Amino acid sequence: MEFQTFTVADLETALLSEDFWLTRTHPITKQKALSFCRNPRAEKDDPVLLVAYRDGQVAGYLGILPDRVFFNNAGYKLGWLTGWWVDPGIASKGLGALLLYKALNAYGDRVGVSGGSREARQALHASQKFIALPPLKGLDIRVRRNATETVLRRFPALKIFRVGFRMADVLLDEIVNLRGFFWERRTPVLQRLTFEYVASVDAETSRFIERHHQHDLTRKGKAEFDWIMTYPWIVSAPRKDPAGGRYFFSSIAARFHYLGVKVHERNDGMVGFFMLSVRNDRMSVLYAYFENRHAPAIAAAAACHALAMDVSTLRLYDERLVKSFSVLRCPGWSAQPISRGFFMSNAFADCPLADCRLHGGDGDFAFY
Amino acid sequence: MDEKITQMLFQVLDELNQLRPEDEHLKKDLETPLAGDFGRLDSAGLINLIVLTEQRTARELGRPILLTDDRTLSRINEVFRTLGSLAGYIQLLLNEKSDG
Repeated sequence: MEFQTFTVADLETALLSEDFWLTRTHPITKQKALSFCRNPRAEKDDPVLLVAYRDGQVAGYLGILPDRVFFNNAGYKLGWLTGWWVDPGIASKGLGALLLYKALNAYGDRVGVSGGSREARQALHASQKFIALPPLKGLDIRVRRNATETVLRRFPALKIFRVGFRMADVLLDEIVNLRGFFWERRTPVLQRLTFEYVASVDAETSRFIERHHQHDLTRKGKAEFDWIMTYPWIVSAPRKDPAGGRYFFSSIAARFHYLGVKVHERNDGMVGFFMLSVRNDRMSVLYAYFENRHAPAIAAAAACHALAMDVSTLRLYDERLVKSFSVLRCPGWSAQPISRGFFMSNAFADCPLADCRLHGGDGDFAFY
Repeated sequence: MDEKITQMLFQVLDELNQLRPEDEHLKKDLETPLAGDFGRLDSAGLINLIVLTEQRTARELGRPILLTDDRTLSRINEVFRTLGSLAGYIQLLLNEKSDG
C-alpha cells in the first residue's frame, strides 16, 4: 500500500496529467479538483487529497477542504473532511482509520466534519478526537407531490402506468400553483418585496453580508460565495458519464445550480440575501443573512421561490426561517424536521463553539 | 517490561472484544493479526485499538505514547501486523523515551 498526499499545487498538475485519471477508481472528479484549486481559503501547499494506492489502483481516499473558522475576531485554519472512501474489498484492514489520522496530522489536529455516513460517525466517535456541535435543526417542506418518482422508486413494476402518474402529478401541481397564486396575494409581506438575482456577489451584497456574518463560524464573504457558485462539484447533465461512474460520490445531477437572491423591501431597501441551491427537484437555502425582524419576509421569499422554480421540496436550516415558515401558512403537503450534524476536532474544544452560527451550506454541504 | 506490555495489550484486547460481536473476538495471542494486509480489524476497530492502547500505556506503564503520528502511520503494516509487533513497537517507543 502506498500513500500519496496531494496539495493544491499537486492537484493542479494532476488536472493536466493523463496518468492521474487512468485508475479504475478516481479519487476525485475533475470539477471537484478544479474547485479545490480555486478555493480562496486554500494555499498552494495545503494538503487537499490523500490517496491510498494498491498495485497502482486506488484503494481509498479522503478529501480535505481548507477553510477558516472564527472565534472572538481571530481566524483559525482548518480542513473539512470530504469524500472519505475505502474500497469495500479491503475495508477490514483499517485503511479508513489511517486516512483519518493522516488528515488530522496534516492539519495539526484542526479538522472539521460535516455530516458523514454512520460508519464515518462511528469512527470519529471511537477516535475520541472530535466533539459534536449542536446539530442544525431544519425543515424539509414538501411543496409538490412527485408521485411518479415516489411510486416508481418503491414499485418499479408499475412503470407501465408512468403516463397515469405523470398526469396525476400535473393535476396536483396545478392545485399547488393555484393555492400558491392565492397565497402570494393574501400574504402582505410578499407584496412589499422585490428580488434581484446574482450569480456573483456584488458590492452592495458584500457589504450587507459583512454586516450580518460576525457571529458565523466560517464568516464567508464575496470571494467564498463567488467560488462556490462558479466551481460546483455537481455538474448538470442528462446522463451519468463514464468518469462519474468511476467516482463513488455524486458528480452529476439532471439539474444543479446556485442562485443568489437579494431581497428588497419597499420601504427598507435591502433586507436580506440568501444563497440557494437547486438539485433536481430539491431546493436548499444554504446561506441566509438578514435581521431577525425580517425573518418572515425572507422565509416567505424562500417559499415563493420554491413554488416558482418547480421543485418538490424546500430545505431550510436557519432556525429563524424555520420558525417563521410555520406561521406563513404557505401551501404545501408536509413539513418534516431534518438536521445537519457537524464535528470539530478536540483542538477547538476550548473555543466558544456554542456561540457560533452555522449555516446549512457549511463544511462541504454547500456542494451537494 | 516485555511481559508488562503483553499483559497490558491482553487487557486492551479484553476491552476491544467487548465492543465486537463474539465471532469477531480477537485471540489473546502475540501472533493475532491486527491491521494491515492480513489484519482482522476494520477502521473503527483499529481506531478503538489505538485509543485503548494509548490510554492503558499511559495509565499502567506511566508513560504516554502516540500511535497516530506520521512516523507510526508510515509503518502501519509493520507496527500493527500482529499483537506481538505492536508490543515490540511500544517497547521501542518506551525505550526511546527513557533514553531521551
